[in-house]
Amino acid sequence: MTSPLLEAHGLVKHLGGRRVVDGVDVVCHAGEVLGLLGPNGAGKTTTLRMLYGFLHPDAGTIRIDGSADLSRMKREVGVCTQNDTFDGDFDVRQNLEIAATYFRPRPENVPARVRELLDRFGLGPYAEARPETLSGGFRRRLMMARALVHRPRLLFLDEPTTGLDPQARMAVWDLVDGLRAEGLGVVLTSHYMDEAERLSDALTVLAAGRVVARGAPKAVLGDLVGEHVVVVDIGEATAAGVMPWLAGRGLGAPGGVLREWHLPLRADDLADFARAFPDLRYEVRAPTLDDLFLKLAL
Amino acid sequence: MNARIAWLTAAFDWQSRAVMNRHLRLYMTGWHIKVLPPALEPVTMLVMFGLGLGAYMSSIEWRGREVSYLSFVAPGMLAYAAFMTPFFQALYASFIRMHFQRTWEGQLTTQIEMRHVVWGEILWAAVLGTVYAAIVSIVLALFHVLGLLTLDVRYLPLIVPLAFVSGCAFGAAGLYFTGIVPTIDHLNLPVFLIVLPLAFASATYFPLQHPVLVKIATLNPLYHLAEALRGLLLGGAVRYHVAALLVLSVAIVLVLVPLDMRILRRRVLGE
Repeated sequence: MTSPLLEAHGLVKHLGGRRVVDGVDVVCHAGEVLGLLGPNGAGKTTTLRMLYGFLHPDAGTIRIDGSADLSRMKREVGVCTQNDTFDGDFDVRQNLEIAATYFRPRPENVPARVRELLDRFGLGPYAEARPETLSGGFRRRLMMARALVHRPRLLFLDEPTTGLDPQARMAVWDLVDGLRAEGLGVVLTSHYMDEAERLSDALTVLAAGRVVARGAPKAVLGDLVGEHVVVVDIGEATAAGVMPWLAGRGLGAPGGVLREWHLPLRADDLADFARAFPDLRYEVRAPTLDDLFLKLAL
Repeated sequence: MNARIAWLTAAFDWQSRAVMNRHLRLYMTGWHIKVLPPALEPVTMLVMFGLGLGAYMSSIEWRGREVSYLSFVAPGMLAYAAFMTPFFQALYASFIRMHFQRTWEGQLTTQIEMRHVVWGEILWAAVLGTVYAAIVSIVLALFHVLGLLTLDVRYLPLIVPLAFVSGCAFGAAGLYFTGIVPTIDHLNLPVFLIVLPLAFASATYFPLQHPVLVKIATLNPLYHLAEALRGLLLGGAVRYHVAALLVLSVAIVLVLVPLDMRILRRRVLGE
């Protein structure tokens, strides 16, 4: 495999006297989408902000394309922040033009690049519109287009589809997929598990500021959650004695969703479960990242 | 580069110019509207002072000689414009960009860093103050040509370096308050508690005679700016006031700019 586009080791960050990120390693290659996941307060955004140079790490190293020089690193990255941070004093086209002035070496042929991005992101009809007049989906498109105006090699997307309707979300997915195909490295955070599963080639899962798992999505799920998830009615499971059975096997408390328990189990545990509760009604399904989040949040 | 002076040399970095150019581009869209206030304000003031206050006080004693009140107040108006414009630009406009528009956050995701944002804001405030003062100078020159004022207009171009240097200091001061006030409503506090007292206790619109005010004024760069301009335009010693203005301005910049960077870094980045 080629050398990584992004390599970060041992990142530590304290904010407000709290150790928010505690020894995090992140690696992303060209043409790869890396999902940075974790429950609220896991340290995702702080890690991302260190990676794109917004915050300075208290400890650890970051290299982008082999360089640790902040200005050179920032030249190679594009950033789409969680909140809209476009320049409200200018229209859509001017936002792209002005963003291009914030980079050296200067991006080549800026007018052509701006036209290309307006077309690609479907922003052409709104080129003279103020960003605040755009719908949520088109605002996100503008944020992504702006992040790409200087032709970066690595793109950071912090919860790129939060608040968008399904159609707009899928449009963003298509754009991300297209960028990956062009060889861009993409690091994204998301709360939408289906999004992370569909888009990510690799996952890095954070909890309480530390990496708790990394690897391909299926492998991460298998390691952290288990091979199967048993969904069972809480009332029926309690009556049948599922809780003491779980405790007896050292499996811990199950994740509850409304009136259901979602029990992640390995194959041998599932076989034992079936033998122990032959009369209990339950459903067995494959684990998802939702199960992972529930498990991490417990 | 030596990190100890990186905050200072950042003033000359391309990123600071990029921030300033962004503001210039915005200013140039609709410039014809934006030049009206600095062009009309001195006309209004001169007419009102001339016809109004001037009717009660046709002349005033300044440095042991009698000068017309209109001639006395004209350099004061120039200094007032060079003070208020950068201060308010760095106070209100910067606060809006930082807090409401999140413009800085967007800039900070590029190769621009907080030190460049700070310098970009300060330098733009100083440039805008200089431009406004230059517009006021043109109006004063017109009044002089029309015989309504008697000024040594040959020295009017000197307002450019004086306004720019002092504008950096006034901009740095405005940005300091931007960094510490919690809401936009709180911006009234530095305006009414510090800016207006400083503006009026500075020999801009009336000469200072009370010994306490005179003593305080020696530490007020606006006082020295007003007196330097008065010396240039009405004839008189200027060296002391120019030197005091430069020393005070440089001192304010050296103290406040690193402080601005620290405060705004904490405020915007949470560090």
